[in-house]
Amino acid sequence: MQDEFNPFEAMAVRFDAAAESLGLPEGQIDMLRKPVREITVALPILRDSGELEVFTGYRVHHNIDRGPCKGGVRFAPDVTLDEVRALAAWMTWKCAVVNVPFGGGKGGIICNPGEMSERELEALTRRYTSAILDMLGPERDVPAPDMNTGEKHMAWLMDTYSMHVRHTETAVVTGKPLGLGGSEGRTEATGRGVTITTREALKRWGGTPENTTVVVQGCGNVGGIAARLFQEQGYKVTGLSEIRGAIHSPAGLDVRACLDAFSKEGTLEGIPDTDWMTNEELLTQPCDVLAPCATENQIHAGNAGDIQARLIIEGANGPTTPPADAILEDKGSVVIPDILANSGGVTVSYFEWVQNRMGYSWEEWDVNGRLERLLVASFNDVLECAQRTGTSMRMASYILAIERVWGCSQLRGIYA
Amino acid sequence: MFTEEEALADLDNQFREAADRLGLSGGLAEMMARCAVELKINLPVHLDDGSLVVRPAFRIQHNVARGPCLGGIRIGPHVTREQMRGLAASMTWKCAIVNVPFGGAQGGIKADTSLMSASELERVVRRYTASIYDFTGPDRDVCMPDVGADGRTMAWVMDTHSMHARHTVTAAVVGKPRGLGGSHGSEEATGRGVGILAAEALSRSGSRIEEATVAIQGFGEVGAHAAIFLHEAGARVIAVSDITGGRHLPPGLDVPKLIAHVEAGGTLAEFTEGTAVSNDELLRLDCDVLIPAATEGQISSSVAEQTAARLIIEAAHQGVHWDARTVLAGRGINVVPDVLANSGGLVGAYYEWVQDRMGYFWELWDVRTRLERHLLRMFDEVFETATRSGLDLRAAAHTVGVGRVARFTEMRGLYA
Repeated sequence: MQDEFNPFEAMAVRFDAAAESLGLPEGQIDMLRKPVREITVALPILRDSGELEVFTGYRVHHNIDRGPCKGGVRFAPDVTLDEVRALAAWMTWKCAVVNVPFGGGKGGIICNPGEMSERELEALTRRYTSAILDMLGPERDVPAPDMNTGEKHMAWLMDTYSMHVRHTETAVVTGKPLGLGGSEGRTEATGRGVTITTREALKRWGGTPENTTVVVQGCGNVGGIAARLFQEQGYKVTGLSEIRGAIHSPAGLDVRACLDAFSKEGTLEGIPDTDWMTNEELLTQPCDVLAPCATENQIHAGNAGDIQARLIIEGANGPTTPPADAILEDKGSVVIPDILANSGGVTVSYFEWVQNRMGYSWEEWDVNGRLERLLVASFNDVLECAQRTGTSMRMASYILAIERVWGCSQLRGIYA
Repeated sequence: MFTEEEALADLDNQFREAADRLGLSGGLAEMMARCAVELKINLPVHLDDGSLVVRPAFRIQHNVARGPCLGGIRIGPHVTREQMRGLAASMTWKCAIVNVPFGGAQGGIKADTSLMSASELERVVRRYTASIYDFTGPDRDVCMPDVGADGRTMAWVMDTHSMHARHTVTAAVVGKPRGLGGSHGSEEATGRGVGILAAEALSRSGSRIEEATVAIQGFGEVGAHAAIFLHEAGARVIAVSDITGGRHLPPGLDVPKLIAHVEAGGTLAEFTEGTAVSNDELLRLDCDVLIPAATEGQISSSVAEQTAARLIIEAAHQGVHWDARTVLAGRGINVVPDVLANSGGLVGAYYEWVQDRMGYFWELWDVRTRLERHLLRMFDEVFETATRSGLDLRAAAHTVGVGRVARFTEMRGLYA
């Protein structure tokens, strides 16, 4: 491994190990590794200044063996085709682990959204949508929000696509606003999924919510919601963090009050009866469950030995590096990998697509019930695979994903 | 000589200079410089031994302002994205200069045809065609043969495209065999065009074709048809040469006899009329019109200093080395540049598309008449521009072509 802190390389290392353990021939591995198609488009946009500027956009379809592609569209100045490729592959394995009928896709536009007006962003989103239109569609490729894109971008995308196909087509994109084909329960889905996988892991490795302490890194859409649900489900949440630092209290936090304070004050610092510390310090506090829900590369070779939790639930993408995996495994700590633990989001995206296709919306309890059943089944599939192959949950999830994708590919055969 | 990269860089330079002369705004020039769509695909192909390999491939569409794209499909071991971009852009300018209603495209499959069986080649071509299907078709992007592809390849492309469209679509591809939607006169169009433009350029400088002497380097499809046309028009073809050698006869070779000799399997060296002449000697013979119709860079600065010709028709792509351009200009020798000189083939390709679209096929005399009118109109426009703006024909051609694309782009305005 060249660079411990390159999450895409980390994904590739894990994929290669899993593919090798399955004994696939090199040609087959090559086919699973490389994207089936990639498009690069030039996007001429009229800036508010009156000048014409040409932006670059990408959309990558990594694999189409199991169904249409699924994956976000990100707006950022440092987007590269390589990054988009890697993220698309990541989505293939994630969708296969939770057994939703999608392949992986990803898109991005090189731009600095912080320096663009609302009108410019809308023009960029619409031009991008029309430029990649032939790649899109409910049966082809269904984008979703990603870094610096959200509900409003998805609404523009849906509108542009619909104008081109001459009818409203909500199922072309997920992460839409409620009332425009968005699903109930989507905002909470990833955080909820983190708590579902935690509960299943405790069933297997021993523990009940009442006698389990949890530290959550991150208090945004994933960490904040997971922490609140953990407390509602009876766990003792002893730590919580934001980008500037973390709070910790062995007696347990009042999560709801902490989140309220955070949304009012913009920081968690100064909440009574808590210790203020760095994110790095929080990770090594005593606890049963550690849920890194912030960003990548948080648990690495330098701190993995000091992690005290026996269960690590990866709410974020790529929070643990491959060298850290090995250290944690030696210590007997169990990692529930990102592609399983944070797949609640893609699962409810799938539900949004299903509801859009049938033109009927489920109520929130119905969405949550289905999410619960699907994630429990996926967890058990990965666990069964880990036992069958004698590997970690991480390796088992990749093995299972590759088995599923390759199984479809083999049955379909090679066209032409 | 020089590499394709250098040749493409030279063409890019021609574009930039033309854009400057036309005073295009930075944004518009950037939009015209960039490729509108770049598609990369990875093609899984079964080899005859049952193993699976993945072959990368591209389809790049440079500009769509003036109509569907038109561009070659190249199959070879050295296909790269940069090369595809350059070839696609050069096709845009060429189509605009020649005034056929296309933008430029280029496709390529990175595979070594010398190591592939016919059935492996067919499978990869069919899979390629299926993979770019959404982006191709008579109104979107028309494929034609390039290095490594021929009439048989284009027949496979047409068949695969048609099977996906559920009806025969001959106009999706040009360069097809006759009887499969190919056009009369397609094999002679480039050479005939060379002859037509030689006669026209002579008459513009006050000379008569009937009194001119012509030397032609290269006796393949282009050189031979140019010789036939010029001989029939009354010129004295005093020398021809090819890879096997050449013949020189100051009163003029008997071209029909020479063609019959070659068609019967004879080489130029074996022809009994005239004296032997090498490829390099031919370039330095006493003649009025010199036609490099073989490979690139044949008119070096040393040839440029010595040639007695008053007119050079650059039938071979990049037949005049750029070092020789200033020498020729200094000596007052006119050059009809490649982009004009060998454009008969492009007009022929355009006619194939027109006839396929209407489902009605012109007879040979009809194709010939239209070709001559089209080329004379094209030449007239470039000549006018050259005279008016004091440019040589090469610079004038690019000014006309880039100006055409700029006008279309501005009139159409910016979508979204």
